[in-house]
Amino acid sequence: MDDLHFRRKIYADPNTQDKAVLDAQQRDPAKKEFTQELVQLDEKIKKAMKVPVPENLCDKLILRQTLACHQQKKRQSRLQLALVASVAIIAGVVINFFQFSSSYTNLGDYALAHVYHEENAFSNQDATRLNLTTLNQKMFAFNGSFNHLLGELIFADYCRFDGMKSLHLVYKGVTDTVAVFIVPKNEQLTFSKTFSDKKLQGESIRFKNTNIIVVADKNEPISKWKKSISENISWST
Amino acid sequence: MATKQKRYEALVKALHTDLYRYAYWLTHDKQVSEDLVQETFLRAWRALDSLKDEKAAKSWLITILRRENARRFERKRLDMSEYEEASVMDTQSTSSEQEIENHWLREKIAQLPPEYSEPLVLQIIGGFSGEDIATMLNLNKNTVMTRLFRARNQLKEALEEQPATRGQYNG
Repeated sequence: MDDLHFRRKIYADPNTQDKAVLDAQQRDPAKKEFTQELVQLDEKIKKAMKVPVPENLCDKLILRQTLACHQQKKRQSRLQLALVASVAIIAGVVINFFQFSSSYTNLGDYALAHVYHEENAFSNQDATRLNLTTLNQKMFAFNGSFNHLLGELIFADYCRFDGMKSLHLVYKGVTDTVAVFIVPKNEQLTFSKTFSDKKLQGESIRFKNTNIIVVADKNEPISKWKKSISENISWST
Repeated sequence: MATKQKRYEALVKALHTDLYRYAYWLTHDKQVSEDLVQETFLRAWRALDSLKDEKAAKSWLITILRRENARRFERKRLDMSEYEEASVMDTQSTSSEQEIENHWLREKIAQLPPEYSEPLVLQIIGGFSGEDIATMLNLNKNTVMTRLFRARNQLKEALEEQPATRGQYNG
């Protein structure tokens, strides 16, 4: 290794572990001395480069990070709260929409669905019989009353008819029960005078503030029911 | 979270000194160096999960700091300011002979062109090998070694002219 090459290597890195450089140092005391000189220079440079570091820099760095982290967490929790609140509101709106909006467009469809839903709740064999007074007490809510009981009344109670408070009557019929709904007038459901499906038939009667719907199976003379309702009911307004 | 915090604190304690000194030799300004180190550690915290190998932490932090420094110039649209004598750290108040020599040498280091002083700081303060420095500065290793050679050569020559200058201090 020539002198120039050696010097370049030592200048670039006095602590080099390059084998050729180390060998050259072993062979030539002058080179060894030169290396020592440069190592000492490096020591001086190192001392000079070690400028004083601000005393509290370390603490500052840790503190600043801790604060930033805390802020971030606070922001995050606020964001989470807002998110949860929005989800809750949307859920509320959606539930409302499904529960209280009508999924049926006319009286007939809804009446059929309602009867099918309660198909097994009533039967001709039920022993309960209600009297005219009980019926008319319930009818009071609709400002109406019956002059006669019309038949054997098994059940009379308020129920939700597509979200509206209505009166559900169940009479004993020829082969199965007859359902009569007294429903306030409503814009959402269109009036259907007669309706039927494979098993059930129904007819509606339009009064001033109220619709009455009769639903029964195909063996039942619906028109007769309709007629006797019309003749027996009276409205106070 | 706690482990991340501990990891971060360990990193700060172990490396903030070297990082600050590196920043100082890059910028020649105490305040700017402190800001740079703070910004660097803040970014390091955010990206701490991406640091897999603790041994690579120092070069990782230096890379962040260099990027921050470059961004500083983009932001302020300042040109790399020339070295000014007044900006060099003044430690004369405790003026032992050692301190005087340090001060004098600091000026000489500060007067080196940045492309010479930066590899030298990385080698001496950072303890990085020529290959490491080449990777960090995105240079070829031979270029790095040449710059290191020139940097030491200039400092050595300056030191050899020193006695006259130093005489004034020693008076």
